[in-house]
Amino acid sequence: MDANVNNSKLSRASASFALAAAISIVVNTVLACAKDTYQPLKTWMASLTGHDWTTQGLAIVGLFVVLGLVIRKTSFTETVPPNRIISVLAGAAITAGIGLFAWYAFF
Amino acid sequence: MNITTSDVVLLAHAGFGVFGTLAAVWVFVEALNAHAENAKRLRTAALIVAACMVIAWILGGDFYLHFYPADKALILRGPWPFAHNLFMETKEHLFFLTLVLSLYLPIAAREKLYENASARRMVLCVAMLITLSGFAMEGFGAIVNHGAKIALLRGGAKASE
Repeated sequence: MDANVNNSKLSRASASFALAAAISIVVNTVLACAKDTYQPLKTWMASLTGHDWTTQGLAIVGLFVVLGLVIRKTSFTETVPPNRIISVLAGAAITAGIGLFAWYAFF
Repeated sequence: MNITTSDVVLLAHAGFGVFGTLAAVWVFVEALNAHAENAKRLRTAALIVAACMVIAWILGGDFYLHFYPADKALILRGPWPFAHNLFMETKEHLFFLTLVLSLYLPIAAREKLYENASARRMVLCVAMLITLSGFAMEGFGAIVNHGAKIALLRGGAKASE
């Protein structure tokens, strides 16, 4: 790596979509648990595209894109330190991943 | 030889998942050694990760919706029902985590990693998460496959007794 590396901030796009990814990942896990416990939600999601899994995938990718664009329009990410954004994304991914496995293992 | 559409779709799904995961390892290594000279290569690798995971999603979705129900019924009747109840259920939802991270990676990789330590840490972190979740899903897929295999083998053994 070059010697002139500094602790620059993330660009607005990178920070915005990182937060959008963190939120989408958590929503994905919550939605997976919710549709398991509340059958009408699963039925409704299935009625939209033919299968609840298809609806969930499109919704999560759509949420990621829309949230990223919305957060990018604001100056919110400029107030958050880059390391905190990285920690939030990593924490969300690890928690959501372990949470999914634990949900199907114990419930 | 009798290779069906479902065989091709399933193996292509797993193949693109592996290519995407390996491309994430490639991104990680390029980011560890970030220079102006490898910036373009790193961005190309990040785009390959995203493209492979999107293709794996489409192929996996096609298999899951059209061909997997027969496997599921077989697994649930066999000696390893947890291959579906735990591993397949986790896999089919965990995939969206990997997919979102893979779609984000090219955005994070657009920055000058050789000048920006935060951007470099972000790319390293995301590439590592994609790699770990990608390998986890490959392992889960192997368990699901084995669940179907032993359901057939032991079912066949019982039938022959």
